[in-house]
Amino acid sequence: MNKEKTIQQYNASLHFLGRITLIMASGLLIAVPFIIGAFYGVEPSISSFINGFMKVGMIYIPMSIVEFLIYTPMLGVGGSYLSFLTGNVTNMKIPVVMNSKEIAQTESGTIEHEIISTISVAVSAIVTTLVIVAGVILLVPLQPVLQNEALLPAFNNVVPALFGALGLKYFVKSPKIAAVPLLLMSLLCVFVPSMISQTSVLLIPSGALALVIGFVLYKKNLL
Amino acid sequence: MNTYLSSVNAPVFYLIVAGVMTFITMMCLLFLVKSYRTGIQIGMDEAILKKTIVSSAMFTLLPSISILLGVIALSGTLGVPFAWLRLSVIGSLQYELNVAEIAAQSAGLSGLNLAELNMSSFVTIALVMTFGILGGIICCIFFLKGYSKKLQSKPKNENTDNKPGFGAHATTAMFVGLCAAFIGSYIGKCFPQGGSDVMPLLVALASALVMGIFEFLIQKKKVASLENFSLAASMLAAMAFAVIANSLM
Repeated sequence: MNKEKTIQQYNASLHFLGRITLIMASGLLIAVPFIIGAFYGVEPSISSFINGFMKVGMIYIPMSIVEFLIYTPMLGVGGSYLSFLTGNVTNMKIPVVMNSKEIAQTESGTIEHEIISTISVAVSAIVTTLVIVAGVILLVPLQPVLQNEALLPAFNNVVPALFGALGLKYFVKSPKIAAVPLLLMSLLCVFVPSMISQTSVLLIPSGALALVIGFVLYKKNLL
Repeated sequence: MNTYLSSVNAPVFYLIVAGVMTFITMMCLLFLVKSYRTGIQIGMDEAILKKTIVSSAMFTLLPSISILLGVIALSGTLGVPFAWLRLSVIGSLQYELNVAEIAAQSAGLSGLNLAELNMSSFVTIALVMTFGILGGIICCIFFLKGYSKKLQSKPKNENTDNKPGFGAHATTAMFVGLCAAFIGSYIGKCFPQGGSDVMPLLVALASALVMGIFEFLIQKKKVASLENFSLAASMLAAMAFAVIANSLM
């Protein structure tokens, strides 16, 4: 009976704390660009923000909802509140929780698993923060090197570097989905060069086309 | 030194980010202590709880270093403090860079190009990056309580159809579409009417080549530990290639 009460109190406090702290953290994160803007006397362009947010939201809001629905059962309540704030969910938090589950031999959905997953995610987030802080402290004296003119081509090509690596990973994983969008987008950019500077617009039809092809292949059991 | 880079690397910016990160770390500590104490109260083995803490810390070390490599990659255009903040909360390297590129284009720039970036566009880009990734947090604030109750009351093994849903494939398809749009634009840039700029495609190919080697080692040789580093290391190798290629061209 006493254990039941402890569990109920624990669950209620996780939701209370989770909601309050997430609201406060979101406020802080949103405030950062405004504080920086105020410091330098500049304001964000509202029209550019809306334009950019529409494109980003179209891709990432549905993705966030899918991730929330899929990962919450694995992460538990406390683990979810922390993971969705501290990020790197698939590449770090989920593997850490699964590793701890193995060690502690807990079953998903039990209070023991809830406690183990919350502890794992909290420790993981703290360790990541400490590692990055140590790295940032080491990076500060390297600033003159990182800002050297000779390194400009590296930082100006960081996005092609990202999509080259990601492209290989995803195209190899799903060649049937990738072939048509890749061919069409390449042809479009070759024959309508004005589209080259409009990649943020291009990715909407490209993403939609890949989704439709993926869905058709899925329905026909071809994936 | 570039004025924009000096501004995005100003000491005050480090202080702001340190403040936010302190709050988030305190939040993690609060959850950790609360869960640990509850575990003891309900009779869990303290040795198991301690083992969980140690193993989670060890398990996180290597992936954290790969995130640090991401901070280096992002810091060249958005500055160290903002790269530190963005890669410590919510998102991941691929999200941050992709959204920053979209936001830069929406702000009227050709992309994340140091020659074009200024503090006004930076603030807009930062705001798009922040709002664009809040979906998961909003879901937690409004729906986690109800969803977790639903999960607890849901009988197990009710799904008799073993076929996984389309959700996982949808995410892959979305990324395929994203990559196709960007790679297509690099191919277009190689042609005279697109500017005859082969560098983005060469860098993408170099990155793909390194990623291909990683994928071979991970998938075929079963060196699973490389998984954490493959993306950041491929990108850094391709960026180094860009410096060398630029000096030769």
